[in-house]
Amino acid sequence: MNKAFAEIDPVYFEYAQKYLGRFMPITREELIDLLQYCEIRKFDKRVIIVREGEIDNYLNLVVKGLVRKYLPVKKGEVTLQLATEGHVVQSEISYLTKTPSMVILETLEPTILVSLTHDKMEEALDKFPKGERLGRLILAGMFIKKDDNRYNRLLKSTRERFFEYMEHHPHMLQRVPQKYLASYLQIKPETFSRLKALFAKKKK
Amino acid sequence: MLEPVRQFINQHIELTNEEFQTLASKFHPVSFAKKTKVVNIGEVATNIYFVLKGITRRYFYRGRQEVITHLVRENGIMGSVISFLTGEPSRYILETIEPVSALAISKKDLEELFLSDKKWEKFGRKIITSFFLQIEYHNMDVIRYSTKERFVNFMKQNPDLVLRVPQKYLASYLEIQPETFSRLKHLMVKEK
Repeated sequence: MNKAFAEIDPVYFEYAQKYLGRFMPITREELIDLLQYCEIRKFDKRVIIVREGEIDNYLNLVVKGLVRKYLPVKKGEVTLQLATEGHVVQSEISYLTKTPSMVILETLEPTILVSLTHDKMEEALDKFPKGERLGRLILAGMFIKKDDNRYNRLLKSTRERFFEYMEHHPHMLQRVPQKYLASYLQIKPETFSRLKALFAKKKK
Repeated sequence: MLEPVRQFINQHIELTNEEFQTLASKFHPVSFAKKTKVVNIGEVATNIYFVLKGITRRYFYRGRQEVITHLVRENGIMGSVISFLTGEPSRYILETIEPVSALAISKKDLEELFLSDKKWEKFGRKIITSFFLQIEYHNMDVIRYSTKERFVNFMKQNPDLVLRVPQKYLASYLEIQPETFSRLKHLMVKEK
């Protein structure tokens, strides 16, 4: 085993195994092989990881902390993703097409990422026996998720989206400023407060 | 008949003549009359199609309202792609707007190809990446641009679709109210 990775927190392994295991069964040995291509990156809270206009060279798995992805618009910004432990976050278009990023990635908490550069990804997919299959299945997974998000955005009411999100992510209210959650759910701050009160009532 | 598909593939990955022939041997030519439901809600999509001629839309129902999420014309890939990839029942209807002729490839044949050589897996990844980018650009546009900007950009980039696709479908695809769409269209004609 590579020495550097022997010292890695087993929790990181677990997150990586869980993430990749969604696409295909993966052994501990295979995972150790794959992790050789990755870097561990640590950030304080409120650090910009990717700037607007910068090319994002990393695919990141959050193993500790929280990353917010947002898009600057004429009047302020729109939160696109709030990635916690076990989730992948990056400026996808920038990474996949090697063009300047439209979005900004910023940590909201002290954060640790397991990161893979574009070149290392291609190298790993090429060298690893099931790599290309894994690569295809990961992309398919990303695509399915985007389609799902769009479908839900178009199908469901604000209220339905709010309630579903709160059911599935009850801890996020403690971790994320309300304005970001409201922006992420595309709900006006006033509506968010009202729905939150309604949700608390329903819980009782 | 195969030249357009060859060109399409070249945008994503380089194939030798032999490799292309292997792929081409899996295609079945198909045609559909206009307003044919190629895939219905609840069906599992077992084929995807490269469109040679014609145009299709993909949509779902919000209550009784049709919500159009895709319009595909010549040299594009049509299908209920999520159902095709996951093997789960389709949430969408894939329906032709004009008569369509296309080249179909089945999930079974494509899976066989993937297993035969990792080069095909990479090919699959590149095509899926293009699907991913398409939806992500659309998502970004909806947030970044005003209704008017989206309308103008779309009209500039797709002048042919305006002539071929009913206005209500275009409005739905662009996530614009039909009345707003009409108003913007009049405005655009005037400005010209």
